[in-house]
Amino acid sequence: MDQAAVLDHEFVIAAYIITWVLQLGYLTYLAIKWSAEKRAAARRTSSLR
Amino acid sequence: MKKAAIGLYAAITIALMIWGFYQAMYVAPTDAMQGEIFRIIFYHVPSASVAFLFFAVSLLGSIGYLSYRRSHPEWAQVADAWALAGAEVGVVFCTVVLTTGPLWGRRAWGIWWTWDARLTTTLVLWLIYVSYLLLRRFAAGPQVQTLAAVLGIFGALDVPIVYMSNRWWRTQHPAPVFGGAQGSGMDKSMLGPFMWNMLAWFCWGVFILILRYNVERKHQQNAEAEAQEALEANV
Repeated sequence: MDQAAVLDHEFVIAAYIITWVLQLGYLTYLAIKWSAEKRAAARRTSSLR
Repeated sequence: MKKAAIGLYAAITIALMIWGFYQAMYVAPTDAMQGEIFRIIFYHVPSASVAFLFFAVSLLGSIGYLSYRRSHPEWAQVADAWALAGAEVGVVFCTVVLTTGPLWGRRAWGIWWTWDARLTTTLVLWLIYVSYLLLRRFAAGPQVQTLAAVLGIFGALDVPIVYMSNRWWRTQHPAPVFGGAQGSGMDKSMLGPFMWNMLAWFCWGVFILILRYNVERKHQQNAEAEAQEALEANV
């Protein structure tokens, strides 16, 4: 592969990595938010007893 | 049963993502004009399509909220949760579009960014929905959901403008590959990998959209229960 093709390939890999970092980062944020809501619901239920 | 269905759907989605990646990197041939950099299309275009679809979900949710907020408050809350989920997940996908696009542009055009019609309208779309999310995050009071719904409808008006921008104004961004002028389209050898990635990103998007919707519904239920308890404590 010539230098331009190598650089193109690196840009493609960078784009794919950025995409996955954004998507998995957001998924992690949702998982944290979900467990926080579950914890809040459980705390409320136990305080009612 | 529900957990098993979710697990199965997640497994199918992950398998599709891996298969889509394999198709994009190893099956699709190198583009004769653009070379290797063309492979960004397999993430860039599906992300844009999914973002548009979820902004449409947000539009329907916003209309639903405004329609039902007085007659059926419970339905309105469901609609509002869909509106928020659509907007937030749409912003994530739109962010992918706005980061992969400049990488592609740098190699194909020699520039990271230009104020061309497609790029500018996409940035405006992203900014409108980011402001929607900021409004929901930082504003308080009983009117927030109504204001957000109006902004959600206003934001969705930009989607057809973004879609049509490279048909109406021929500036830097390439003409549409699909549904463009005569002779537009994609070679069969690239179309297969492209469609696999469309399917994979659609399934992934639906997965996180439903997850976001459920998080919001849980949040609404917790907030409602807390308000109810506070009311009972005051009586």
